Amino acid sequence: MPNLKDIRRRIRSVKNTQQITKAMKLVSASKLRRAQDAILAARPYAMKMMEVLNHLAARCNHDLHPLLAERQGGKVLLLVITSDKGLCGGFNGNILRRTAAYLKENGNKDTALMIAGKKGYDFFKTRSSNIIKHYIGWTRHFEYQMAVDIADILAKLFMEGDVDRIFMVYNEFKSVMAQEVLVEQLLPIVPEKNRNVKEHVVDYIYEPEEEAILDKLLERYMRTEVFRAFLESAASEHGARMTAMDSATRNAGEMIGGLTLTYNQARQAYITKELIEIVNGAEALKG
Amino acid sequence: MSLLQLSIVTPQRLIVSDQVDQVNIPGTEGDLGILYDHAPILTGMRSGQLSYQKEGQTIVLIVSGGYVEVTENRVTVLAETAEFLDEIDRGRAEAARQKAEELLNRADLTDEEFHTAQKKLFRAIARLEGTESSH
Repeated sequence: MPNLKDIRRRIRSVKNTQQITKAMKLVSASKLRRAQDAILAARPYAMKMMEVLNHLAARCNHDLHPLLAERQGGKVLLLVITSDKGLCGGFNGNILRRTAAYLKENGNKDTALMIAGKKGYDFFKTRSSNIIKHYIGWTRHFEYQMAVDIADILAKLFMEGDVDRIFMVYNEFKSVMAQEVLVEQLLPIVPEKNRNVKEHVVDYIYEPEEEAILDKLLERYMRTEVFRAFLESAASEHGARMTAMDSATRNAGEMIGGLTLTYNQARQAYITKELIEIVNGAEALKG
Repeated sequence: MSLLQLSIVTPQRLIVSDQVDQVNIPGTEGDLGILYDHAPILTGMRSGQLSYQKEGQTIVLIVSGGYVEVTENRVTVLAETAEFLDEIDRGRAEAARQKAEELLNRADLTDEEFHTAQKKLFRAIARLEGTESSH
C-alpha cells in the first residue's frame, strides 16, 4: 500500500510545478500579445517590399546589381534564429533538426552558420566548425538596429564573395497554436518560381538612375526581411511557450487529480483497516 | 471608370489600401501624377505631400522618404512615415524644425549627422507646409 505521506508530498510538488507553468503561461500570453502586434504591424510593409522586389527581379537585368546575381559557387550561409530560453515545446527542436539535416546533406564544410539565440548556439558550437557570428540574449531586447547590423554584415559577406547564397531558417508565426519552420532564401534575391510572367514584361522607368535606387532599395529590403524574420520568431516563441505551458498546466492538473484519488483510496483503506482492528479487538474482549 | 489599386505602407503599419482615381507623388526627381495605365515605374520619394483622388475627393498625406512602384495599375508606396493631415501635431513639427535647424548651423557635424539632420528638417517642413493651408 502506498505511503500516505509520500503521496501527499508528491501532490504538493506537482502543485508547485503547476503554479510555475501557470505563471509562465500568463507571462507568455502577455508577451505574445506585444510580439503579435509587432509582427502583424510589420508584415504589410515587408510583404509589399517583397512584392516590389519580386517584380523587380522578374523584370530587370540581374547583372544590374551584385545582390541580384546568381553565382555558381556552393558556399552557403544559414542564418538560424532560435530562442534563448527553453520550455517552449518543439520550437527550437524543429529549427535545429532542420538545420542539422541541411548540414548533413550539404556538408559541414561549405556551410557557414550565423546563429541567433542561446539554444541554437549551444547546440551547434560543438557540431559545426563554421559559426561566423552568434547573438545571445536577443530575445530579451530586440531592436530594428540589430536587424540592420545583421543585414549589413550578410550583404557584405555576399558582395565580397565569402558566401554565394544565404538562407534564413526561422519559425513563421501562423497562429498562437501553430508555427512553421521556414527555410527562405535571402540572397541572391530571386523572383517567385510560379509567377506567370506575362509576355510583355517591360522594364521600369527608374527615377533616379537604376543603380542609385537599387542600392538603397535592396539595402532596405534586406533589413526589412531580417527584421521581419526576427519578429516572426519572437511571436512564434511566445506562442509556442504559451501552448506548451498550457498543456503542462493541464497535465499537472490531471496528475494531481489522479494522485488525490490514490491518496483518498489509501486513506480510506487505512481507516477501514483500523476500524476492523478495533472491532476485532472488541469482539475478542467480549468473548 | 478604371481605378488604381493604391497601397501605402510604412514599417509601422498599413496606412491605406484603396481603389482610387489618381495619385500624386513627391518623387525624388519631381512630382508625379499617376493615372490609369501608367507605365511601370520605380522611383524614390522625398519628404512632402502625397495626395490621391477618390470619388471627387482629394485626400492628402504627409510622407517622408521611401519608394514608389507602379505596375499594372497597382501603386505601391513604401514610405518611411505617412500621416494624414489631421494626425499632425504642428507644435511638435515646429520644435523638430527648430532643433534640426540649430543642428545644421553647427560646423562640426559629420556627413552622416548632417544628412540625418537634413532629413529631419525636410520632414518637419513637409509637415508644417502641409498643415498650413488647413489652418
